[in-house]
Amino acid sequence: MIRSLRGMARIGLRFQLAYRSEVIMTSLTLIAQVFLLRMVWTSVYGQRQHAMGLTLEALLAYLTLANLQTFATMPIITRIAHFRIRTGTVFFDLARPVGYLPQMAAFQVGHTAGALLLLAPVVPVVLLVGSITPTAHALPYVVTLALGYVVGMLMALLICLIGFWTMETGAISLLYRLVSQFFAGTMVPLTFFPGALRTLAEALPFKYMGYVPAAIYVGRLSGAEIARALLVEIAWIAALGALLWALWRVAHRRVVINGG
Amino acid sequence: MIRVERLTKVFRRPRTFTGPLGAVRTLLTRQYDERTAVDDVSFDIAEGEVVGYLGPNGAGKSTTVKMLTGILTPTGGLVEVAGRVPWRERNANARAVGVVFGQRSQLWWDLPLIESLRLVGDLYDVPAARFTWSLKRMRDLLGLDDFLDTPVRQLSLGQRMRGDLAAAMLYEPPILYLDEPTVGLDVLAKQAVREFIVDTNRTGRTTVLLTTHDLADVEALCKRIILIDKGRVLYDGGIDALVSAYAPPRRLVVHADDGSHAYELTEGLEVPDLLAAHTIRDLSIEEPDLESVIKRIYAA
Amino acid sequence: MAELTRALRLYWRLQRATMRGAMQYRLNAVIGVLTGAVYQGSGFAFIWVIMHTFPAMAGWSLPQIAFLYGLRLTAHALCMLPLSSLIGIDWLVREGEFDRILLRPLNPLLQVMTKRMGVGQLGDLLVGVVLLGIAGGAAGVPWTPGLVVFCAIAVVGGALVEAAFFLALSSLSLRMLDTFALRVFVDDVFSRFGSYPMSVFGGVTQWLLTYVLPVAFVAYVPASVILGKMVMPLAYASPLLGVALFAVAYRIWARQLRHYQSVGT
Repeated sequence: MIRSLRGMARIGLRFQLAYRSEVIMTSLTLIAQVFLLRMVWTSVYGQRQHAMGLTLEALLAYLTLANLQTFATMPIITRIAHFRIRTGTVFFDLARPVGYLPQMAAFQVGHTAGALLLLAPVVPVVLLVGSITPTAHALPYVVTLALGYVVGMLMALLICLIGFWTMETGAISLLYRLVSQFFAGTMVPLTFFPGALRTLAEALPFKYMGYVPAAIYVGRLSGAEIARALLVEIAWIAALGALLWALWRVAHRRVVINGG
Repeated sequence: MIRVERLTKVFRRPRTFTGPLGAVRTLLTRQYDERTAVDDVSFDIAEGEVVGYLGPNGAGKSTTVKMLTGILTPTGGLVEVAGRVPWRERNANARAVGVVFGQRSQLWWDLPLIESLRLVGDLYDVPAARFTWSLKRMRDLLGLDDFLDTPVRQLSLGQRMRGDLAAAMLYEPPILYLDEPTVGLDVLAKQAVREFIVDTNRTGRTTVLLTTHDLADVEALCKRIILIDKGRVLYDGGIDALVSAYAPPRRLVVHADDGSHAYELTEGLEVPDLLAAHTIRDLSIEEPDLESVIKRIYAA
Repeated sequence: MAELTRALRLYWRLQRATMRGAMQYRLNAVIGVLTGAVYQGSGFAFIWVIMHTFPAMAGWSLPQIAFLYGLRLTAHALCMLPLSSLIGIDWLVREGEFDRILLRPLNPLLQVMTKRMGVGQLGDLLVGVVLLGIAGGAAGVPWTPGLVVFCAIAVVGGALVEAAFFLALSSLSLRMLDTFALRVFVDDVFSRFGSYPMSVFGGVTQWLLTYVLPVAFVAYVPASVILGKMVMPLAYASPLLGVALFAVAYRIWARQLRHYQSVGT
């Protein structure tokens, strides 16, 4: 069981490393994105020292981190699942002795590992283009980020399951990526969101993949806020996990009965 | 109709690099790999001939056909199709030739067959009245009526091939290139394709160049074949002449109590020896066929 | 002239056939348009959120930047609507589809252009035109007939600048060079950086985006003219750059076409 999952993870890793030109492209895009954000924010800050309680330096560090995180944890399985459902190879996945969802999760983990590997040479450039200083809150940062990764994974798996009904997750996964990145605060910290948009963004779970860890890193959240964020984050994981489990039961029955 | 003289094609590919920044290195460096696909090939095909163009995979068949259609520019030598140099006058040449690739359809995947045929008619400027006439002919010859309104993606391979033949001949080109037109088809569909080619050649005096691996196609359709291998012409002439010149000896097959044994029918074979060696129950003689001839030539 | 009308008529026939094919997957088409709109909308949402806190960006107000964004987006959509099939040129070459294109008596580029239907670009166009209309009013553009004409020409000129780079890079694929990643990156730079006043970047970046990869000429220069921020007479000629660049790009395409090597067998 563990061995086959490890095998799946290895394929995910290989997959990431195989598409080198795509990796170079996304790396360049990442650098361009961080560079652009730096330019735009520096320009709007102008002579101001603070905006919404954030100095320009803290903000740039936040944005650099948030973008690196997004790049490293980009969900791939939504695309893979789409392809495999379309071509019917999903039945091989279902026929394996290990559950479908664990397989997909292992694949994603392998893929993320590959992303981290590839990210290594890019990180110095990104840090140079953005700007970042060591943090005093390393532990809560790592913990919230790791849990945020779990949140992202659960949602990606949910989208994979949608494919069992719609047979088509390509556009949905792109939509998901756009919406999740926006509400994760990849380009603007949630603090800057106006009124109702802010309330919405705070209520949605996307912020744990970007805003929450990055804000902790730059010291934006106090101890009590961190503790609360952690609790809510864990609650989200439980809720999403339960939803995923329920949906899987239905999806699986659907496949077994209809035969596709 | 088709004149090819000392035709040569050398492929020059920029050497591709893999690894990080491989694409950039490929773009920046000027290293090339060279490969000669067609090497000093000459032949003439007269109007109304049906010629089989044969050779093993990678022999240079497709490359020759691509130069005849103007898709590729020759590295050296001369090509003339209906008095034109194809790559110089690609558009004019395109109107004079019909091309069928057995492996790739030219039809519009999501549209009904009839729509594809209409589009082809438009592309080749077939006048409305002529189109109606031509379509009628194709419908009768190829039996298209059953699936004319079916989207191409739902057609069987045989139906699709008939649709492709119709699309290639709709504008009545004087020349038809067929690249493996029967690959993957069942016996009946193969028969339909062959009959269509025979008919087109007979009634329209269409010149046909056929590349195939199916020698039954060649035996059914061609009087003349051109054999190439590694880019060079090995044989050009009639099938009968080829068989008599290169044919292996006929073989005597002895079916005996201890199994079947084959002997080449040459001078040295003595009947008493055979009778001594086996308890014979039956005898048969195997005539050499085109396939065995061609196998022998490739092997040489 | 007769040849040109024939080409355009056939282009339209082929494009319509592709559209009819795409319409069989209606849900996909709707999702495609929607995704295009959301993608561009989320880009603008970023600017909107920033400018909720900060009143100006390099001296441009929110309506002015929205106008710039709309102009860039409309130009982009106008470029990609006819050319989106070029995205798949590597595939066309690799699968031998391009051979068939060369077997037909019609300009190969026109044929490639009809291979796919740019559904997502319809979403871009929708958002772009709406933004252009609303922001133009909010920014107080004095819409004289002359300015309307200039705006229309500017959109076409901007589209041609982007199209020129896209076409030139795509044409390298005819020689088996994989430029997909590079094309996506260049397109990304056009989209990301083109929507801001160039003075935001300043220095080397501004110079690069003006003279090396002329992103500035897609929307920034014409928008500055329309918004009265740039009064140089030469700036009115900026759409001509698009025409010139596209002419060069087409020459490159034609040159690569002569060296087309097909897929080996």
